[in-house]
Formats: sequence, structure tokens, C-alpha cells
Amino acid sequence: MKNLLNKEFRLVISPLYFLVTLFGALVLIPQWVFFIAPMYLLFVALPNIIQFSKTQKDMEFTMLLPVRKSDAVRARILAFALLQTAQVLVVAIFAALNITLYHTPNFFIDPNVAYIGCVFAMFGLFNVVFFPMVYKTAYRLAAPLIVALTLAFLFATGIELLVVTVPAATRVLDGISRDALIGQIPVLLCGIAAFVLLTWASMRASIKRFEQVNL
Amino acid sequence: MELLKIDHLKKRYSSFELNDISFSLESGYIMGFIGPNGAGKTTTLKCMLGLTPKDGGSVQLFGQDFFQNELAFKQHIGVSFGGVDFYAKTRIRTITDVVRRFYDNWDDSAYRSYMARFHLDEAKRPSELSGGMKIKYALALAMSHHAKLLILDEPTSGLDPVARDDLLTLFQELIETGDVSILFSTHITSDLEKCADFITYIENGRMIASCEKDELIASYRIVKGTAAQRPDIEARLVSAKTHAYGFTGLIRTKDLTDRDAVTVEAPSLEDIMIYHAREEHQHEKSAE
Repeated sequence: MKNLLNKEFRLVISPLYFLVTLFGALVLIPQWVFFIAPMYLLFVALPNIIQFSKTQKDMEFTMLLPVRKSDAVRARILAFALLQTAQVLVVAIFAALNITLYHTPNFFIDPNVAYIGCVFAMFGLFNVVFFPMVYKTAYRLAAPLIVALTLAFLFATGIELLVVTVPAATRVLDGISRDALIGQIPVLLCGIAAFVLLTWASMRASIKRFEQVNL
Repeated sequence: MELLKIDHLKKRYSSFELNDISFSLESGYIMGFIGPNGAGKTTTLKCMLGLTPKDGGSVQLFGQDFFQNELAFKQHIGVSFGGVDFYAKTRIRTITDVVRRFYDNWDDSAYRSYMARFHLDEAKRPSELSGGMKIKYALALAMSHHAKLLILDEPTSGLDPVARDDLLTLFQELIETGDVSILFSTHITSDLEKCADFITYIENGRMIASCEKDELIASYRIVKGTAAQRPDIEARLVSAKTHAYGFTGLIRTKDLTDRDAVTVEAPSLEDIMIYHAREEHQHEKSAE
């Protein structure tokens, strides 16, 4: 797996794609819809990486190596999960900066601990839909992107609306006071758990589908 | 020692079926895997390697099921499907550095000697290589980890005659130790006349033969005769071509009798392939 990840980051995923995570700095915009910031990774980096891998015939190359089809899928999803984790970390840094600089609550969800948990969950949701759809054919990209991005968008919109309209949700997810931030830790842990579980489920389903693909 | 054994390999597509492909290859030999375009050669190789899921049959390497030991066995196989047409804009040096990490037995000195032999420059990118050079680089990658079995799909297509001859000489050198075997698919049968020990011949997804090359050639004869001689032998011919002086056809040696007053010659592998392809074509036409 180490060698396949090395292949992913040396041949497929240019280090410049890590710069896309700097869109996380958009969290510094005062009074904004913060879910948009981490979505740039889904809008810009991931589709381009997959498209690049297709045009460079990465699958044909990988299948000449002493690996199983399942290993190739695991490495690709793991590499994307690492990019997503890097994205969340960058967002978290700028979110902390936002709270420190402005001390002002946001109209929509605050860039707080619960928000970070929700971003993890959003990426997990994207993964569980996107990759199994991609690996059904290993070449069709448009439909998986549209469906997975729509779901991620609906999830983010749902959270934002809940925070604005449902007081119970506001209590759990919103707030930037010290107590509120500590109270949101379970949401962060649930978000991380959702990310891990959904990405793992995505891997299993993708492998099962890719095994049936005639390369 | 039996290195590779393919037994009743099956694969069904909506418009094509690979049916009961069986052959085996001993250590230290070269097997040519031949058949016309679309016969199922690449599909067979892909099913063998697990790239395409098979619908039946088994693949054994070193006497054990290939798919039970896939990772370990792939360490001992070198694979090339044509030339390197991946990562067109990445330097060869980088591609090699990624590949070498996957092999426990990667031999940098062997790799360097192949690169020198093939006049390949590591600073170049695949997009800067000619078709022949791309194939040579693919072969250098496939051969630099002391593979016991080389599976090469059309390795000589696109190479000039000098490069092809050099490659065939290299194949002979590789098997000299008796540890390495080469299975290579091709439709350039003259390459196999030079170096193959065994031939597996498939046509439209079906086995035609798998045996020693000389045995295969001996089992067929080319017959030439006049139009008047044709009716007597017609039913026994695999297929035939008509021309101004009569006909030329392929017949199984066992079907030839002393009473046949036709000219008899030894066929080339190409003759065997061409006349079998004509037979297949005639069957298809009569079925329509």
C-alpha cells in the first residue's frame, strides 16, 4: 500500500493540488456560508485528478504492477481521504483564526468545532456516493460527480438551514464561546467517525464493483 | 517443470466468447500465442492476470492457483501490453523510480543494461519516444526484476526489423538459463518462426492448437493443384484459395493420402493462420 500511495502522490496527484486546500482561507470572510470553502476541493481538485489519471492511463499502468485490483482502489480512495483530511486541517486553522480575530457569531453556522465535524461528515458522504459510482465503470465521471456533489451540497445546505431555523440544532451546532466549543466536541467526533466509516464503506463497495470491471 | 497452466479458461461478452482456452508452458521455453486480430489473445492474457474477471477455468503458476497467491506470484511475472503510453509527460526516470519500489527483486544494474542496450534516455518522457522505443521501455520495465515468466502482448509490433531481431535474440538469451519462460502474443508469425518453441493458436475465442512449433507445422501441409484435382480433395481442406492455375489450400497432414496427386509443401505459421481464418470466415458466411 505504501508503494501505491507513493505512486498516487508522485504520478497522479501533483503536490500543487495541496495548494487547493488553501481555499480554506475563505473561512476568514466575515459573515459567510463557510461550507463553500472546503467544497473547492470537491469542485476543483478531485475531478481534475481523476480526469488526469484517466488521460494518463493510470489504470493501465497500475495493472502492470504486482498489485491486486482491490489494492489500486484502496490506494486511490485513501489518497483522496488524505487530501480531504488536509483540507479539513487547513479549514480548521483558518476557522480558529476567524474566531480569534472577529469574536463575532456568524449568521449561518459558526466556524467552530461542530462545523469541522460536519465538514468531515460531508466529505464522507461525498466519498460513499462518488467512488462506488466511479468504479462501476472506472471511466465514467460526470454522473458520479453530479450526484455526489449534489448530495454534499444538500447536506451542507441542510446543516446551514438547521442552524438558522431549529433552535435545538443551533444549541448543538452553533456558538463560539469556550463552553460552546467544548460542548461541540462530540459532534466533531461523530463527524470524524462518519468520515472514516463512510470512506471505508465506499472502499468496500468500490472494490466489489471494480472487481467486475473488464479492463 | 510446469510453470504456467491455463485450464478451460472461459470469458463471455455479449458479442464474443472465449471458450475453453487451455495450454501449459514449461520453464525455459518461449511460447508464441497467435491468432488474428480479435481472436481473444489479449482477453486471455487479461483473464490470466485477473485484470478481467474470468467466467470459468483455472490459472496455475508454479503448480498453485494463481489467484490464491496473486501478490506473491506477480512478483515473479513481467507484463507488457504493447508500448508505454501512460504518463506521457512524466520523465522516464520518475516512472521507473515508482515502479522499482514494487519489486523485491528489482535489479538496477539489469535495468541500466537494458536501457543502454535499447538506447533509452531516462531524461526523456514517453511522449518523446517513438512507437518502437515505447515498447522497448515497457520491456525494460517488465524484465528488470528477474521475472520467471514474461507475459508480453504484441512486443514486436511497431519495431523495425533490426530492433525485432535484437529483441528476439534477447528473448533467447533470457531463456538460456532454463529459469525464465516467455509467453508472447503476436500476429507477426515470422518472429515466432525464429524463436518460439511452442505455439498456442486461437481463433475467434476457440483453441485451434497448442503444441511444439515443429509439431504444429508438421501437422499441416500446403497443397497446390489444378481446378480438376480440387473436387477430390475439397472436403478435406481446411480452406483454399482459387487462382488462375487452380487452387492452393491447407490440409491436415493426416488427411493427406498417397492417391492425392497434388503438389505438397510445408506451410509457414502464417499459412496455417491465414487458411484457418478463411475457414472461420467461410463458416460465418454460410451461417448467415
